[in-house]
Amino acid sequence: MPSMNAVLFISFLLFSVGVAGVLIRRNVLIILMCVELMLNAANLNLVAFARHSGTVAGQAFALLVMGLAAAEVSIGLALVVALYRKKDTIQVDQINLLKG
Amino acid sequence: MDPLLASIGQYLFHIFGLMAVAGALALVFSKNAIHSIVGFLLSMLAVAGCYLTLSAEFLAVAQLLVYAGGIVVLFLFVVMLVEMTKFKEKGLFQSQAKWAVAAVLAGAVVILSVFWSTWFGPGASQALTLGPELGQGLDMATQNAQAISRGLYAGYLLPFEILSVILLVALVGAVVLAKTERV
Repeated sequence: MPSMNAVLFISFLLFSVGVAGVLIRRNVLIILMCVELMLNAANLNLVAFARHSGTVAGQAFALLVMGLAAAEVSIGLALVVALYRKKDTIQVDQINLLKG
Repeated sequence: MDPLLASIGQYLFHIFGLMAVAGALALVFSKNAIHSIVGFLLSMLAVAGCYLTLSAEFLAVAQLLVYAGGIVVLFLFVVMLVEMTKFKEKGLFQSQAKWAVAAVLAGAVVILSVFWSTWFGPGASQALTLGPELGQGLDMATQNAQAISRGLYAGYLLPFEILSVILLVALVGAVVLAKTERV
């Protein structure tokens, strides 16, 4: 069994890489994948704390988060496809219709 | 058990966790979008392995099915659909990338300082084990799926049903968003 600190540390690293990816990449697909990465880091924490407390609630919620992530990806990719049809780009710095 | 195998098994979580972080780094820093997806796939598989070592078997299988089976394929479809070569000369990173990395590092240092205080404190190397009175509903290796289903359908039925409605909304919304415009 891994120690709690190891789990938290790995999850922290995954979350940091996810945040960095969302902030620095231009490609909106990579940004979506990084969001998934952050959700996974949160899931890892949920599972670890479920193990720690000995209840099943954390695992059940991790399952719910997984379903939510699937829904989010499908909507996000549909938005990307619609955006690509409309603007012919998937670079986030070129998507500035709201700038006025 | 074979002593070598036992000593490896002790560190399986660390191995899988480092694999996950390596996949995440490959995802963020690779030039080719397909390579990014391969890094994402590696990361998701390694996270499934982490779930296995935390004895959440059902979640590990669900992770494999949902992420490695579904989401990666969806991403691959869209990457194939979008012509990536157009954006090659534009550069990989945003113009504010330096500041973003600095901000992330600052946040990481803050969290690490919290870690530092607990790292060497009492219970730092305490393994994640259960008290016998707590382990009842979650008898890991044999009854993980039963334990989760009991928790999900007995204790958390309302969130589960709400999630099903959300999935339906996402289904309809994705179809509406992605279909060709007809005016």
